[in-house]
Amino acid sequence: MTFRLLLQTVLHPTSVVKDVGEAPTSQHPPVSLHGSLQVRHVDAGSCNGCELEVTSAFAPVYDAERFGVRLVASPRHADALLVTGPVTKNMVDPLRKTMQAMPEPRLVISLGDCAHDCGVFKGAYGVEGSVSDVVKVDVHIAGCPPHPEAIVEALRNLTGR
Amino acid sequence: MNDVYVVAIGLAGVIAAILGGALPVSSRVGAAVALTWVSCAAALGAAVTVLSSDHAITISTTAILPLTGVTMTLDPLGAIFVIPISIVAMASTLYWLGYAGHGLSSRSASSAMPLFVTSMLLVPFAASVATFLVLWEMMALTSLVLVLTDQSRREAARSAAQWYAVMTHAGAAAILLALVLLSAHAGGQTFSDIEAHARHLSGAVRGTVFVLALLGFGSKAGAVPLHVWLPKAHAEAPGPASALMSGAMVNLGIYGIVLVGYRLLGGGPVWWWLLVSVLGVMSALYGALYAATSSDLKRLLAYSTSDNMGLILIALGASGLFGASGHPTTAAIAMVAALLLMVNHSVFKGALFLAAGAVQVATGTRDLDRLGGLMRRMPVTGIVFLVGALSVAVLPPFNGFIGEWLLLQGLLHGLPTSNTSVVISISVAVATLALTGGLTVAAFVKATGIGFLGRPRSDEATAAHEVAITMRVGAGALAALCLVLGLVPMLVLPAIERAAASTGQVHATSVTNGWVSLHLLGLRGVLAPSLLAAGLASAALVVIVIRRIAHRRRNAWPAVNPVEPWGSGRKLQTARMQYTATSFGEPLLRVFDDVIRPSRDLDVSHLVESRYYIERIAYRTSNDDVIERQFYRPFIAGVRWWGQRARWLQNGSVRRYLAYGFVALVIVLVAVT
Repeated sequence: MTFRLLLQTVLHPTSVVKDVGEAPTSQHPPVSLHGSLQVRHVDAGSCNGCELEVTSAFAPVYDAERFGVRLVASPRHADALLVTGPVTKNMVDPLRKTMQAMPEPRLVISLGDCAHDCGVFKGAYGVEGSVSDVVKVDVHIAGCPPHPEAIVEALRNLTGR
Repeated sequence: MNDVYVVAIGLAGVIAAILGGALPVSSRVGAAVALTWVSCAAALGAAVTVLSSDHAITISTTAILPLTGVTMTLDPLGAIFVIPISIVAMASTLYWLGYAGHGLSSRSASSAMPLFVTSMLLVPFAASVATFLVLWEMMALTSLVLVLTDQSRREAARSAAQWYAVMTHAGAAAILLALVLLSAHAGGQTFSDIEAHARHLSGAVRGTVFVLALLGFGSKAGAVPLHVWLPKAHAEAPGPASALMSGAMVNLGIYGIVLVGYRLLGGGPVWWWLLVSVLGVMSALYGALYAATSSDLKRLLAYSTSDNMGLILIALGASGLFGASGHPTTAAIAMVAALLLMVNHSVFKGALFLAAGAVQVATGTRDLDRLGGLMRRMPVTGIVFLVGALSVAVLPPFNGFIGEWLLLQGLLHGLPTSNTSVVISISVAVATLALTGGLTVAAFVKATGIGFLGRPRSDEATAAHEVAITMRVGAGALAALCLVLGLVPMLVLPAIERAAASTGQVHATSVTNGWVSLHLLGLRGVLAPSLLAAGLASAALVVIVIRRIAHRRRNAWPAVNPVEPWGSGRKLQTARMQYTATSFGEPLLRVFDDVIRPSRDLDVSHLVESRYYIERIAYRTSNDDVIERQFYRPFIAGVRWWGQRARWLQNGSVRRYLAYGFVALVIVLVAVT
């Protein structure tokens, strides 16, 4: 970030919010969401790279909340489960229980390459498998880790905003 | 003809006590219960006769007590106290049939129980100082025997009995002083003599008598700060005895205050009733607060008794205040409210204590932190407790609601008086009612939610089974009565109004009117409890019907998937991880930290190998009674210190004892000359 950009940010605080383009024209969520999505995040064994990017996606710059997505503290309040990382042996049951605790209709979003195919952790002694081996995945966000813009875009595709 | 009732009560009670002590274990409880029922039925008959005919029953004999004789009169005021006592006694003794096998079939218990019931039934009959004191003492002693029933198994029962013995006799001493003082000044020991002369006594004598009587009877009613024995004795007494003590015996403390304050002394100045109100406010707040924070089921109920007696004292005090400041209508309403609260409290607290006794029989513990899941294992007991809890939490359509509604109507309509001290005390009383209402709800949400819902927290609670049929019927009858009195309070209101009128304080013979809806005469206040209940029932029905209809349309309501309770996805999820009674009370304990001053203790022991690993964490918290800790304990310690110091006086040396006699003689001679 250059000095000018920093100065501009200080002088015009609203400009930190990044413009991430027009609303998606076509919306293909597996269930009807009406522009609002409550997300419960579960770290199933991630290296925390994906967590940083999720944090960033909900922080002021990318601000996913303006598109109707919100991180919630309990699966009882959630429409969607956001899973990061390969599923470790210790997290198989908690992940399954978390999904069962969510009301229907519900979505499962896997985030990052490890969630898809275990990435560099494939075959490690503590790893059970990918997220889709444990629960049925509806949406996948690719990347190692995915860029916040990719996360926001994928979530906007779900909410349609 | 009416004398038969009185003779029957006494005779049946005495025979029951003799049979209870003499018969073999297989038949003694049955015989005692049957004869106690005869006694109760006779008492009910006498009370109903008096209340319907408005003629007092009088019986007098010199055959029993030497020198003074026995004088008994039952007027409408006494009758309204006899009715709840006999109803609670019938339910409790029926319950006793099932409970007897759990350590309540000894000769002493089978003999003390009928005598206890009989003496309680006869106390409102007493019409002379000697009769009253003898019956009062008999009631105290027989209940003391019942508190001691479990003493061989539990140390706490022995300590509770000691507290009870000392407190009840200190109270009896105050009552004795008050009544003897009164009869000495009035020149006669029958209540009719006293009534005739008490109005002309000096204010100082009347004031002293009233304060002494208030202390003595207040301690029996569990008024704070004279309540310390109550949570101990009521908690340690076995099931039916605790129901009798909390549902019936405490009422007689209220009876004593009404008897001395209104009947014998004929009302008094404002400061008497301010004193009663202050006692009531303290009891209500303190009792409710401790009920909300304690985790022992019966201790919680006992504190709630203190709370309810506080409400009754507030009503009595308000009635006196309104009467002394010239507002007869509100005075009458407050008096009727006090008596209605008393009747209601007997019924629901009897049911609650019987249910708690059943829980103790089924699980062997009263600790809420070790209970849970009992609603499924003991459905009848659970529903009885739930009904009692809803009544005590003042929710319609149960009976607790009507009494408190009437009290609030009286207090709020009494606010626009000219007397400043009355206005201030009534405002404080209204605020107290609001706060205790909230605290009571918290206490009983805790007792029902932690004790009966959720999963069992111990093996004993897991293995619990429903109790014997007689216990269920006894407790269930009182619970059913809670609902009946809540739906049609008009069943008892005319009788209560007649009783209130017979105190001499209330001139109107009727303060309420109506059968379906309750109108307050002279004030603007209407309540239709049965319509309210019908509204509730139909609202519930509408919800059920809508659900049914919606359920037919598959899309609107997806199939229900039962899943285990959400526990953050942890693998090991045990019943010990549930919310406990202690944790439920913790926020309140924090808020009222300055009042309760709980002691907390946290012990962390680390592993020897590394301080980063913890071997054991022990957390102890205790919220024992702050009044006991701050006032009674230092007093007892002082008495003990004094006793230790005085021991050198009596050291077994005969020469020293002779010297005492000589010194005393010299002092007397010097003093005389």
